[in-house]
Formats: sequence, C-alpha cells, structure tokens
Amino acid sequence: MILQAVRRRLAIGTAIALSSLPLVAPLSAVAQDTVRIGVISPNTGAAARYGAFAWRGAQLARDEINAAGGIGGKKIELFQGDSQCNPTEGVSALQRMLSQDKVSYVLGDVCSSVTLALQPIVENAKVLLVNPASSNPQITYKAGVGGFQWSFRNYPTDEVRAGVVLKYAAQEKKIKKMAVLSVDSDYGRGAIALTKKYLAENGVEIVSEDYYKDKEADFRPILANVRRSGAGAIIMYGLADTTPIIARQMVETGLAGKVILIGSAEFNNPNAIAAAPTALEGAVEASAWVPEHDTARNKDFIAAYKKAYAGEEPNVHAYFFWETLKLIGATAKQANSDKQDDVRKALQSVTYDGIMGKVNFDDHNQANLPMILFELVGGKPAIKGTFSTKIIYPK
Amino acid sequence: MIELIFEQIINGIVAGSVYALVAAGMTMIFGVLRAINFAHGEYYMLGTFAAWYVMAKLGVSYPVSIVLGILITMALAYVIGRLVMQHLVTAPFQSGVLATLGLSLVLQNAIILAFGGTYKIFPGGWLNPVFLGDIALAWQRIIIVLVTIGAFLALDLVVRRTRLGKQIRAVSQNVEACAVNGIDVERVVLATFVLGSGLAALSGVLTGPINVSIYGGMGEAVTMKTFAVIVMGGMGNVRGTLLAGWLLGIAESFVAGFIGLQYRDAVGFVILIAMLMVRPHGLFSVKSRF
Repeated sequence: MILQAVRRRLAIGTAIALSSLPLVAPLSAVAQDTVRIGVISPNTGAAARYGAFAWRGAQLARDEINAAGGIGGKKIELFQGDSQCNPTEGVSALQRMLSQDKVSYVLGDVCSSVTLALQPIVENAKVLLVNPASSNPQITYKAGVGGFQWSFRNYPTDEVRAGVVLKYAAQEKKIKKMAVLSVDSDYGRGAIALTKKYLAENGVEIVSEDYYKDKEADFRPILANVRRSGAGAIIMYGLADTTPIIARQMVETGLAGKVILIGSAEFNNPNAIAAAPTALEGAVEASAWVPEHDTARNKDFIAAYKKAYAGEEPNVHAYFFWETLKLIGATAKQANSDKQDDVRKALQSVTYDGIMGKVNFDDHNQANLPMILFELVGGKPAIKGTFSTKIIYPK
Repeated sequence: MIELIFEQIINGIVAGSVYALVAAGMTMIFGVLRAINFAHGEYYMLGTFAAWYVMAKLGVSYPVSIVLGILITMALAYVIGRLVMQHLVTAPFQSGVLATLGLSLVLQNAIILAFGGTYKIFPGGWLNPVFLGDIALAWQRIIIVLVTIGAFLALDLVVRRTRLGKQIRAVSQNVEACAVNGIDVERVVLATFVLGSGLAALSGVLTGPINVSIYGGMGEAVTMKTFAVIVMGGMGNVRGTLLAGWLLGIAESFVAGFIGLQYRDAVGFVILIAMLMVRPHGLFSVKSRF
C-alpha cells in the first residue's frame, strides 16, 4: 500500500515535470544572436579550485572580446557546467548544455578523465571542443588523424613533462630513489606510466607506488612507508587542493626537508606554501604557465586579471581558459565566421600569437606549447628552464 | 618492521577515533528511530565549517571555536530535528531514507552556495609533533584519541545512569510501550538527534586541523565509513562502536600501508558486506542495544 502510494506520487510528480518541459524549451531556443560557449570545469569537489580559476579566466576573456566588438558583431555568452572532476557528471553537464543552452563551442574540462569522456559526445553533436587544461596524452592521440575531428587541445601534455621533471630531480638534485604518490585518475596514472619510461636512462628506482582518491585526507600510512624506504623524492601528479594536506602531514611525520615533491600539483599555490613551507621547499614542478613568466604581455594579463578579481593572482587554469577563449575569438575573426565548422577548419592552419609563444595545431589537433620547469626556492618559484613538449605519436 | 606495524596501528586508532565519534551518534539515532541517517556526515561538515567560520571570519581562537562549532551545529540540528526527524517516528522507513538523503543534499549545497565550492584551509590546532620513539605524532592526534575515549565514557554514563539515557534505551527497545507509559517519544528522538549531531560536530572540529582542507562534500565520505562501523559495532550498540571504529581505522591503515592507498576506501565496504553475511547483529553482542 505504502509503496503504491509512493509510486503514485512519483508518477504525478513526473507528469508535472514533463508537462512543464515544453514551456521551458522554446524560451532557450530563441534566435541565436550571441555566440554560445559552454565552460565545463570542476566547481565542486576536490578540484574546485581549478574550476573557480577556469571560470574567472573565461569570463575575463569574454568581457575583453565583447568590449572589442564581439565575434563579427555578436557578443559571446558563456554557460557554466560543473563536472566535479567526475566523467559522469561532466557528460551530463555537457548534455544539458547541448540540449538546453544550445552551445556551439565547449571549453573544458580540467580533469583528463572528464575530457576523455566528453570527446565522443561533441563528435556526434558536431560542437567544437577546445581543451584548455587536460594533460593526458591520450586526448590528442585520439584526435585529428587519430579520429576525433571536433576535439582540439590548447595545453601541453604530460608526455615530455614526465621525463624532464624526472631528469632534473635525478641529475640536478642527485636523487635516485623515489616514491610515487599520485591521484587515482587518468591524469595521475597516465603521468606515472610516462615517468616509468625514463627511469632506466636516469638511473632512478621507484620504491613504492600509491594512488590517492580525490577526497583522501589521511596520508600518514603512506608517509610512514616513505620515511623508511630511503626515498629522496615523492613523484606526485596530483590535485592542488590535496597538496597542502600532504605537505602538512609531511611536516608532521618528519619528512619535510628530507624528501622533496616533484611532478605537478600546483606546488606554487600560495595557500599550500603557507600551510607547510618546509615541506614544499625545493619542490620541482613543470607547469604550462606561471605568473613569474617574465614578458610584458604576461604582466598585462596578470594586471587585467587582478583588476577584475579584487587583486587575486591568476593560476595556470585562469590563464589557459582566458587564452583559449581569446584563441577561439581570434580564429573566428580570421575565418570571418562564428560557425563552429568554419572555426574548426581555420584552427587546423591558424597561427596564434599567444603569451607562451606562437600556437599551431599539429595533425592530431594538439597545440605546440612550451612548459616551464621551476623549483621552489625560499617559498617562490625559481624558473629553471623552458622546454618544448613536441610529441612523437605512437605508430 | 615491528615499529612500522606499531606506527600503522597508531595511525589506525587516530583515524578510527574520528569514525567512532561520528558513528556513535548515528548508531543512537538508529536505535531510537530505526532509520539510517544518511545525512549524519553533514553534521560533521557543519561543525567543521562553523568552527572555521568563527575562526577565519570572526577571529575567535581554536579552543573557543570547538565549543562554538558544536553549539551552532546542535542548534541547527534542533531546528532540523523539529522540522524533519520528529516526523519520522511514525513514518514508514522509506520516508527516513528519502528525508535524510534529501537533507544531505540540501545541507551540502547550502554550504556550497554560502561559501563556494572551493576548499578552504582550516587554521588552528596543535600541530607540534610528539615523538614516541621514532614515530612523530601531532598533539592534535593524541587529543583526538583522548577526547574520543572521554566522550565515550561520558556517553556510557549518560546512557546507563541518566533519565534521558534510560528513555533512549527504552525507546530503542519498544516505541509503543514507551508511548503507553507516558514517555514523550518525539522529545527523546529530538534529544538523541541533537546529541548525536553534536558528537559528529566534535569529531569534525577536532579533525579540521589535521585534514587541513574543508569543503561542502566532506561529510559524505565520513557517512560511508560509519556504515561499516555501526554494523560491526552492532546497530544501536554505543560501546561496540568505539572498538569497531578503531578496528576499521587499523584495518584501513594496514591496507593503505602494506597493499596500497588506492584500496583504502574498499576496506569499509568489504567489512560491511562480510559482516552482513556472517554476523549482521555485530561483533560484540548477541542482541543488547546499549
């Protein structure tokens, strides 16, 4: 009886929900007098810090492009989707954007696992996905001549980064024993798989290998092992929000100052450095962008961002979502069209003058971008060099 | 090796104390309501957020924030108890599942709306290490274990010696008989709920400094872990909960330390399934509830 009553109530609820749909749909399908662009990024959960920066970067680019007359006279309109760094949530955010917001372009996601899940859907929908922040190599292995025609990436991959970071730690810091502690995702596991290719030539031995779930907060069992293993470095391709937790527990377990962090998990995040300065000192990271990149145009970007967001310093995701939207705007202008198919074709041959250098896309729709290697010295990133991330694709 | 095992046991007892404090409230609420409170981890989150708020925004010191965090959470729990939990006494069990799952979503998203989705750094705490031989342990962790033991002793006293405790035990044995004998069942449910939420908040405020980051969804993971603890301890059994919490914590530390961190969250679920198959009434008791 009770179940029946519940079912009846559910049925009535569904009927009401369905009957209200046609009322809503025509409203969102009004004439396209704007260029509709979706931004998918993690706005809640363990990577929410990334998503918040990504959204602010994209909004800044939108305002700048709209103030300069928009794309062919049309203003850009942004729609926000929350992926929670979870492929299932990312896909439903994208579906909602396609069916309700009628977007023609999508920027996203930050997390590689989400981006990999978005690719087949934009391919079917013929909507242009330009990824500004995921580093797993598979994303563009499978694009361009690799298959997906509607996926582009304006962000360097982990392919070369893994080798460069390992080499620096082995040769400059003279560390031969390392422990792995990375996030349990396509990004974290992918970067470690690439790191393993370079172990032999650098004479490095991996003494333990652990992957953390994105909400993990207790790392003592692993740090206890690392302390006894004699490892001189922890290879970490992780999430910026977890870095302060691990760093503080490294201080507590007496690892700070003895074991350094290497890889990429936003070790230069001021919050992390404030939470555990001794654990992050000497950390080595390769990043696609740092505020310290010393050019006039970079300083202009940082100044504009700080002005728009009450003095907050941008991070790598703010920069890349900003730059990627500017790239789409410039390419559309060059193609003299705001149709996603025209922009897609133009992207294949465009040369865009970006802050990090000239951007071209190869036949896998992958931008050639440099990465910056830095080491934290006295709580500040000291730039140790810039390297190309050109990919040799597997045959 | 012996020292490493000892260190992992200590790590497990610290983690397990946090689970036990949260699970104690959950198991008592199950006792009086016969309903799993899926939102229980949210009171752990609310306590931590309240303490963070008074510290970061109002400049209160950490010890004071512990008290305020618990009081604010208990006040919220009182309102939620009046509006939702009291109505579950006479409602079918499905209503309890839906109501508490719904509450969990509302509370998480209310916090995200109010404070944003990004992680916040929890200040305060006593983080200087104490050395037990070669093993370094922050004072905060020792405090967590001691406070947990103290809280369970006090809880045991309340449940066994006070009028409220006797009423709680009576209601969890037979609701109808209590109503017939003039016990105000709704008041007992409310009191149990507020008390349980306060314990979850205490656990959250104490854990804040060592977990460093706080965010809207932080309660969910804790709720999941407490399922295994309350089933192991025996549903409604407060004493068993402490031992079960420690057992889960130690098992997790061993799996994380000796097999791999990625398998840690599986431990609770494996234990939960095994317990339900072999000893659904818990490890420690045949049938006693308190």
